[in-house]
Amino acid sequence: MVEPAERTSALQGCLADLLLDQDGHSLFGADPAAFGAARQLHMEDQAALAHYKSRLLTYRSLVRSALEDPLPDCFPFTHALLEKAGQWAACVDAFLGSRSIQSSYYRDVNPAFVAWLAQSGWGQDRWPFLLQLAHYEYIEVEILRWPDEAPQVDLGALPKADLYVVFDGTVRNLAYAYAVQDASGGNPEPDAGETYLLAYRDGAGDFQASTLSPHASAFLARCLEGERVGEAARALGLPLEDGLELLWSLHAKGAVLGFR
Amino acid sequence: MTPSGTPSGTPFSGVGVGLRRPHLAQVAALKASPVPFWEIAPENVVGQGGTRHRQVMQILERDPVLTHGLSMSMGGFDAWERDVLDNLRGFLKATQSPWHSEHLCWSSFGGANTHELLPMPFTREAVQHSILRTRQLQAELPVPFLFENVSYYAELGAAEMSEKQFLAEVLEGADCGWLLDINNVYVNSRNHSFDAKEWLEGMPLHRVQQLHIAGHAWFEEDQLVIDTHGAPVIDPVIELMQWVLPRIGRAVPVLLERDNDIPALEELLAERAALQKAYDVALDPLSVSGPGSGGSSRG
Ligand SMILES: [Fe+2]
Repeated sequence: MVEPAERTSALQGCLADLLLDQDGHSLFGADPAAFGAARQLHMEDQAALAHYKSRLLTYRSLVRSALEDPLPDCFPFTHALLEKAGQWAACVDAFLGSRSIQSSYYRDVNPAFVAWLAQSGWGQDRWPFLLQLAHYEYIEVEILRWPDEAPQVDLGALPKADLYVVFDGTVRNLAYAYAVQDASGGNPEPDAGETYLLAYRDGAGDFQASTLSPHASAFLARCLEGERVGEAARALGLPLEDGLELLWSLHAKGAVLGFR
Repeated sequence: MTPSGTPSGTPFSGVGVGLRRPHLAQVAALKASPVPFWEIAPENVVGQGGTRHRQVMQILERDPVLTHGLSMSMGGFDAWERDVLDNLRGFLKATQSPWHSEHLCWSSFGGANTHELLPMPFTREAVQHSILRTRQLQAELPVPFLFENVSYYAELGAAEMSEKQFLAEVLEGADCGWLLDINNVYVNSRNHSFDAKEWLEGMPLHRVQQLHIAGHAWFEEDQLVIDTHGAPVIDPVIELMQWVLPRIGRAVPVLLERDNDIPALEELLAERAALQKAYDVALDPLSVSGPGSGGSSRG
């Protein structure tokens, strides 16, 4: 029987609070021993915190700088916007403070950031498009890395009314209230306006996003849900020819693998 | 003597390089491996796809690889997710890595992951906890487990022993192999004012199966040497590698780590070649003035 390692656990919990909590820096910086005492640390451990005060605070900087590369890599325009507004560090602080980074996979920091924006609403009073912009930026990274699928056999190359559409696994049928695809480093604030995009990875492995009409988006949504081409067009009052043409072009681009 | 649970006679030796994203396309396009072996983090590969992933898989099929994990929070308390363990097992089998390594540290607490290599308390309790976790992970893996000594900038809580004693006790208690990061020893010796060679002398070098070597940086404002892996390896660290290799007495593989300010592949390979020369000189019995190639460590 192994004793529960209570002292080790208390010490790790205390350091986690210092590293992650938004007020960790100010509280610990003001009085490390009291910080430890509030977390039921032994007296000698409280003294050790005080002794290593500045170096323990260095760990807090290290945790933040470890996010400095991956987050702006995945969210260049979100980062550009918040950096320009002097809010990037505050955003990272709030994100860390929420303890939303749970997966042991480093790459999961990116989707955790989007999920945290959605759940917390952080910054969205001032920038109502923020979540949608970050979501679209993440989608590109997700699509580029999406697991490859085994090749499909017995698929037709021509769309027909009574066939089902087999999409590439990377296809995302997206709807936004902002023109997120027009954001750039110089102009990271997308204009308001209903935006429908079909995003996917093409045959060369590159990210692609095609702008869709609302009708085309609704049609593809039905096809993605498993309706036959003809049924999907009929349900929307869409001319079948238009639907077939769209699917044919998406097949040529690699977003549609074929028809069955 | 080889500790139980660690392989002997693996073909891995010489100086390898950590496989990094900016070099994938170039390396995949080569006809043959430009290095004796690569090191790769399984968690950055499993469950991925696309162009870069295809390049990684091409390289892994062609070249020898050692695996090194960054995410198991060995000294922590959070349970390992089933699918993470399953993915790791699958990857280790597929790559036929002779062993798998992780850092002796913790990264997550209460489900929240810091993705930082955080120090263990140097206490008897933490020794026992680390031994338990190492044994638990070892039981999950199809290959022997090695743990790596980390750079630590502060002691966490009041120490009951030195870092050296802590590591030695966990190595013995868990009966596992050691990935000796020579740069981490050097960084710690600078930050905590001890002599790196003296530190190494009393350690169980017979457990060493692999070395890490890397660059670091001095941060004036923190008055600290930080293990950045963002610069070339400095001469004193190369000299420390040359000092320890004959004392290990086996041609254990050395891995050059570079994670920040990653240079062009040619530059990294040139650094590797220089390290390989230093490695060969250190293991040449004629040039060794130390304990020779007898195979046992000092002390
Ligand atoms: Fe290392």
